[in-house]
Amino acid sequence: MFGFLRPGDSAALHRLGKSALFAGLTLNELKIVEGFTHDRHFLPGEVVFDEGEVGQALYVIVSGSVLICRQGQADRPIARLLGGNFFGELALLDDSPRSAQARALERTEIAVLFRGDFERLLQSHAHIASQIAMALARHLGRRLRQMVASDGAEA
Amino acid sequence: MNGAPADYRSGPIVWACVIACTCVVLFVFQKILWLVVPFVLALIIYYLLLPLKLKLLMGGVSHDSAAGLVAGGAFLALAASFVLVLPGMAAHAMTWQESSLRYLDGGLSLVTATLRQLESRLAILAQAQVSEQFSRLVAEHSDKFAQRYLGDFALGLAAWAPSILLAPFLAFFMLRDGWRFKRFLGRAVPNAFFERTLYLLDQVDRTARLYFIGLIQLTLLDAVCLAIGLWIIGITGALFLGLATAILAWIPYIGSILGCLLVVLVAATDFPGQPEIAYGTVGLFILVRLLDDFVFMPLTVGKSLNMHPLLTVLMIFVGGAVAGVPGLMLVLPVLGVAMVLGETVGLVLTDPRLRARHVFAKQLRRELVTRDLRA
Repeated sequence: MFGFLRPGDSAALHRLGKSALFAGLTLNELKIVEGFTHDRHFLPGEVVFDEGEVGQALYVIVSGSVLICRQGQADRPIARLLGGNFFGELALLDDSPRSAQARALERTEIAVLFRGDFERLLQSHAHIASQIAMALARHLGRRLRQMVASDGAEA
Repeated sequence: MNGAPADYRSGPIVWACVIACTCVVLFVFQKILWLVVPFVLALIIYYLLLPLKLKLLMGGVSHDSAAGLVAGGAFLALAASFVLVLPGMAAHAMTWQESSLRYLDGGLSLVTATLRQLESRLAILAQAQVSEQFSRLVAEHSDKFAQRYLGDFALGLAAWAPSILLAPFLAFFMLRDGWRFKRFLGRAVPNAFFERTLYLLDQVDRTARLYFIGLIQLTLLDAVCLAIGLWIIGITGALFLGLATAILAWIPYIGSILGCLLVVLVAATDFPGQPEIAYGTVGLFILVRLLDDFVFMPLTVGKSLNMHPLLTVLMIFVGGAVAGVPGLMLVLPVLGVAMVLGETVGLVLTDPRLRARHVFAKQLRRELVTRDLRA
């Protein structure tokens, strides 16, 4: 009883630390971030979120893999993300609808960072939140460059 | 497909359920008041100490240590203030008793003088000898007051003391484990509804926080208005009286009557030959109470709970009818939480896609656990 009051699993903490989003954080900082995230477990084929749904959270894959695709087009995936990757990051910035569907490919453990919690993290641990925001900005910049490069190649 | 939470508007069924649930919760709360009162006090302490805990967290202290340090510090500060204040209070106990009796006499003199004035103008009252009967009644009650009520009062205080002592204990665990409990509740929610429900938990937390902030704003507004009015009339200790009556107003209506009584007693004693001053304070009090109930409360507490002013006022009456004085005090925070819960449950249950995803996830789970049974 009251098992939820016990400290978290340290192996899960190390797996969380492998994500590019939290790569720059120390173990203590990671413990603080873990306090703001929620663990979720998905079965193979289970939908994480739908295209068009309003996003409230960012998802970090702790273990397993996730397929990103257009709604109803799971046979033509946009990306296959493995442990350490993250997705749904734009939900931390605004209320814009999800641009694609996310679906677990195998048994998958995901850490969820809710926008409200990220805002609280910004207030209480500005240093940690700024490191996460920088990692997020680098990730978005990389994706933008890839898109520009692929548009150039098509032209 | 999946509408934005902002697009959703609760219908009459959801609203009826919210109001019905609020009434049921208030009725239950009235029955377990011994637990509800320390819980509410613990919530107030929790929201007062939470910023300090967050500051310590920011400094790199862990959740448990930060909660321990903040709670320990608050306890030490409270103990130190008791040690400093108690000897003074004990030394002035006799003076306070004398002052209380003087103010009570002042108030009774005002009532007797008013009744005598009325008797001189209305023959019916003069024939009934109302002022004499009132004086006799007061004399009888004041003689036996201590015998009749002091024992019950002391017993009541002794019965409530252990439950009130629960408040700091609960507040400590709220500070230490509140965030873990929130995550624990989150884990019980199916994946399909999780993201929307996270939004709900955040809103409930925000609603409770805004309610207590609204309550403090309301108290300050009341205190300032009353203090200015009393100062203009010329009553001594206007700021203290304003603050005391504003805190009493936390109990809607009944608290206001007690506050008014307090101010009138002071006015009647400070200006014994001038009943118009006491009547002036009653007028001021009625004016501030009207402002409070119909302007300040909807603008602060009601606004913080995002409630329509009419609903705020109506629900205060409903709360009083269902659960008496505790209902008056608790109706708005309970309604605020019930509103958020009702709107989110309505939002989740009326989304066919989310329900379909939940059913699909249950099928997946069943297939997974029965796969080897079929072979």
